[in-house]
Amino acid sequence: MDHCASVLLAFPEAKEITENYVYHKTAQQHVQKVERLIKENTATFSGLAAQLLEHVNPAINSISYLALLQTLLSRDKAPQTNQPLLSAITTFLMTFDPRQIRYVGTTLSNLLTTVGEGEIFPASVAVDLLATALLRIDPTGSMLTSHHISLVNLAYLTDNIEPIRPVIEKTIVFYPGIKSSSDGRYLCDMQLPPPAYITPDTGLTTKLNSSAVLQYDLLCGLCFIARSSWQKAFDALERVISYPTKDGVCSNIMAKAHNKWVLVGLLLTGKTPTVPALAWQGAQKIYGTLGKPYTSIGTAFEQETAETLKAEFETLGQQFWAEEGNLGLMRLVLAHYQRWKIVGLRDIYTKISLAQIRTITQSAETGTPLATEAEVLELVLGMIQDGMLNGVVEQPEGQPAYLTFLSPTEELSEAEFGAKMLQTAQRIKNLEPIVKATNERLGTSREYLRHLVRDSKNKDKDPGFVGFDHSIEDEDLMSGVLGP
Amino acid sequence: MADPLLEFFTVMDSQGGVVVKVECIDPPKFDLDLYLQNYRGRTRFDRLYLIGRSSVPLCVDALKAAILEAKRGRDPQRYREVVECLRIAAPHDSEATYDQTWLENTEVSNRNETHRLTLELKGYKNNLIKESVRMGNEDLGKHLESIGDLNGAAEAYSKMRPDVSTPKHIVDVGKHLVCVSLQRREWGMVTAHLNKMGGNQSPEDEKILQPYIKIVQGISYLGQERFLDAALSFLAADAAVPSASYNDVASQNDVAVYGGLLALASMDRKDLQTKVLDNSSFRQFLELEPHIRRAVTQFVNGRYSACIATLESYRPDYLLDIYLQRHIAKIYSEIRSKCIVQYLIPFSCVTLDTMNAAFGSPEKPIEEELVSMIRTGTLQARINTIDKLVTAVSVNPRQKLQTTALETARSYEKQAIDRLRRMALAAADLELKGQRKMTPHGMNVTSDLMYDDSALE
Repeated sequence: MDHCASVLLAFPEAKEITENYVYHKTAQQHVQKVERLIKENTATFSGLAAQLLEHVNPAINSISYLALLQTLLSRDKAPQTNQPLLSAITTFLMTFDPRQIRYVGTTLSNLLTTVGEGEIFPASVAVDLLATALLRIDPTGSMLTSHHISLVNLAYLTDNIEPIRPVIEKTIVFYPGIKSSSDGRYLCDMQLPPPAYITPDTGLTTKLNSSAVLQYDLLCGLCFIARSSWQKAFDALERVISYPTKDGVCSNIMAKAHNKWVLVGLLLTGKTPTVPALAWQGAQKIYGTLGKPYTSIGTAFEQETAETLKAEFETLGQQFWAEEGNLGLMRLVLAHYQRWKIVGLRDIYTKISLAQIRTITQSAETGTPLATEAEVLELVLGMIQDGMLNGVVEQPEGQPAYLTFLSPTEELSEAEFGAKMLQTAQRIKNLEPIVKATNERLGTSREYLRHLVRDSKNKDKDPGFVGFDHSIEDEDLMSGVLGP
Repeated sequence: MADPLLEFFTVMDSQGGVVVKVECIDPPKFDLDLYLQNYRGRTRFDRLYLIGRSSVPLCVDALKAAILEAKRGRDPQRYREVVECLRIAAPHDSEATYDQTWLENTEVSNRNETHRLTLELKGYKNNLIKESVRMGNEDLGKHLESIGDLNGAAEAYSKMRPDVSTPKHIVDVGKHLVCVSLQRREWGMVTAHLNKMGGNQSPEDEKILQPYIKIVQGISYLGQERFLDAALSFLAADAAVPSASYNDVASQNDVAVYGGLLALASMDRKDLQTKVLDNSSFRQFLELEPHIRRAVTQFVNGRYSACIATLESYRPDYLLDIYLQRHIAKIYSEIRSKCIVQYLIPFSCVTLDTMNAAFGSPEKPIEEELVSMIRTGTLQARINTIDKLVTAVSVNPRQKLQTTALETARSYEKQAIDRLRRMALAAADLELKGQRKMTPHGMNVTSDLMYDDSALE
C-alpha cells in the first residue's frame, strides 16, 4: 500500500517545475512508473485502488487518479450503483489538471467515452460532465474532437441542451488530422495551439470523417433550433451547406440542412436567405432541386397574401412535413408569417389603426384575417414584448386604437459606437493565435514548399526573353519572318 | 347598328384587344384621312385595321378604309381578315361581302408573279452576275412582302446581302429587313439590322438616313419597354430631313408623341428641360403636337395635375397608335408615379387630403396607390393613416454610416473565421469527396452521398 501510494504521489506539483523540458521528462517517467506498478501488482493494486483513491488529489495527481479510476471501472461489473466511484469520477472530470492529462490522452478518452455512453450516469449529469471536461482540455473550444460529436448527439437525443451551450457556441476552426509541426515544443507547453496536443496520437480524439463533421454542425443547428436561437441555428446550418466538397458530390446531410436553413432564415429575417457564395455551385443546384418545396415556401412567405403559403403547406400535407422532420419548424413559419407582414408595414406607415392591420394582414394558419381587433392587439403586443417590433399601441378616448412605429434604431452616441467597434476589433484580434497557427502549418506544408521552389525557379529565368509564339502573329509568319 | 358593333367589340375584348369606348372618354381628336396622309406603304393598312378593331366611334369608317387600302394592295389574307371584321361589325353594309373576283384574280396573279420572279432569279444566278442576282432577290422580296409572305420576304432580302457592292445597297438591304422585322414585331432583330446599316457612307447620306435609324431604333426600344433608351433615340432624330424618308414607319407627329411621352415617363425635370424643351431639333417635331409640349412644360413647371389632365384627355388617341397601344397604360402610370414623387419632394409632410385633391378621384383614393408605390420603392415616404399625413423619409447619414461600419466589421470577422475553417478542413483532408471504390461486384457507392449529374458529364 505504501509503495503504491509513494509511486502514485511521486509526481511533483506543477509550480515546482519551471522548465517545459523537465516537466515533459518527469511526466513521461511518471506515466511509465504508474503503468509498471499496475502491471506488476495487478491483484494487490486493484484491491487497494478504492482506498488509494482517497489519498490522491485529482487536481494535483491527475495521472495517478485517472489510473485508479480506470482500474476500478474495469473491475466493476455495475459501476452505476457504486456511489463512491461515481462521485470520484465526477470530482475528477471537474478538477483534473489539463496539463498532466495530455500524457494519458487515451485513458482519458476511454473514460469520456464510457461516460458519454450514458449508462453509468443519467444523461443530464453525463452531458454536463462531458461539456465541462471538454472545455477543461481545450479552454478555447476551437477544436472539434470525436467527443464533441458524441456529446452533442447525446444532448440532443436526451434533450439536455442547456449544459452544452458553452461548447457548441464556440467557433470551431481546427479539426483532427491536421498535420501540425511540433517544432520541438513539448506536449506540456501551455502555449501550444489545440491541434498540436489534441491529436489521434495523444489519444484525446480519434480521426474524424467528413460526415461526422457535417453531423456535428447539423446537430448544433438542431440544438439551437430547439432553443429558438435562430441566428445561431442559421449560422450552424450555413456551415453545413457551405461545406467544402470535391469531385462534385453533395451529402444528404447538406441537402437536409439546406431545407431547415431556408425555414430558419424565414423565421430570422422574414425573407428567403441566399445561399452563401462559398458554397459549391453544383451543390446549390442540388439544393434547388431537392429543396423545391422549401424554396416555394420561401417565395410564398414573401407574398402579400397568406393564401399561397397556406396552400403550399397544405398541398404537401402534414404527413410530408412530418416525414421530413420539419413539421415543427413549418408550424412556426406559418405562425410567424403575419408577424413579419406587420413588421413590414413599418416601411409604409408611421401610424396605422389596428382595424387596418386586421384587414391588410392575414394569418397563414387560417389564410384569412384575424377575427377580431382584440386578437390583433394581442399579437402586436406580443411582438412588441418579444422585441420584434419597435412601436407602441395607443388608445385615445373614444377613438379606435392604433399602432405607432417608433424610429428604427436610435442613433448611437460616439462613445457607444466606438465601444461597439472596439468589441468587434477585439474579437478579430482574438483570431490572431488561430491565424498564426494556420500560417505556421501552411508555411511548413509540403505543397507550400514545392510552390515556393517552383516560384523561385520561374524567377531565375531571364524575363527579357520572349518566346517565339508570343512575338510573332500568324499573319506575320506568312509574310515577314519566313519571307525572303 | 349598335348591336353588331357591341358584339364585335365583345369579341375583340375577349381576344385581349384594347377597346376604346366612346361613353367614358372623349372621342379621338383626329380625322382618319388627315391621319393617313402622313404614311405610305403597308403601315397604312396596319394602322387602319388597328383603329377599326379598337375604336368604337371610328370602327366602321376605319374598316372600310382598310378594305379600300387592302384592295389597292395585293395581299388577299389582309383583305379577308378585314372583311371578316366588318361583317361582324356592320353586317348590312354593302362592303361587308367578299369581292370574289378580285380575290381570285389577285391570288392567281400573285402566284404567277412569284413564279416569274423565282425563275428570273434562277437565270441570274446561272449567269453569275452579282448585281442582277441582288436585284432579283430584291424584286422577289418586295413582291413577297406585298402579298403578305413576310417569312419569304425576310429570306429573300437577306439573300441580297452577299451581293451588295455599294454603301447604298447595304442601306437598302437594311431598310427592307427592318421593315419586315417591324411588321413581325421582332424588336431584337430590328436593332440587329439597324446596327449593320450605319457607318460606311458619305456624310450627306448619313444625314438623310439619321432620322430613320433613330426613329426605328426608338420604336424597337419602345417595343422592348426600354423607355429611356427609346426617348433618347427619338429626341436625337433630326427634324430637318423630310419625313418622306421615314413615313413608311412613323410620321413626324408620331415622333413628337413618342419622344415626348417617353421622355415624360423616364426623365427628371432637369433633363426634360434641357433635352426636350431646349432641344432645337426636337422642337420642330413638338410644334406639330402642341399638347405634348404643353404637358412637358407643365411637368417641368411643377403643375403635375394639369400635366396629367392634359395627357389623360389624349389617352384615347394614343390608344389607337399601332406602336404605343400596348404600352400606354404603363407609360401613363409611370408618368403618374413620377408626378406624385416630384410633388412630394419639396415637402416633408403633406396631408392625404391635399394629395387626393391633386391626384385622386372620388372613386379611387390616392392611399392605395401610395402604398403600392412605397412598396415597390418608387416613393420614399411613410403614411400616417391616423392623422392622415404623408411624411417624407429622412435619411440619417450618421446612423447609416454606423450601421454600415458595424456590418462591415461583422462580415469581416465572419469571413475570416469561415476561411480559417475551410483551410483547416482542407488541411485535415476532410473535404467531402466521392468515395467510389471498385469492389468485386462493380462500382460501389458509399451511402449518404448523392452525385451531381452535371459534374459527371
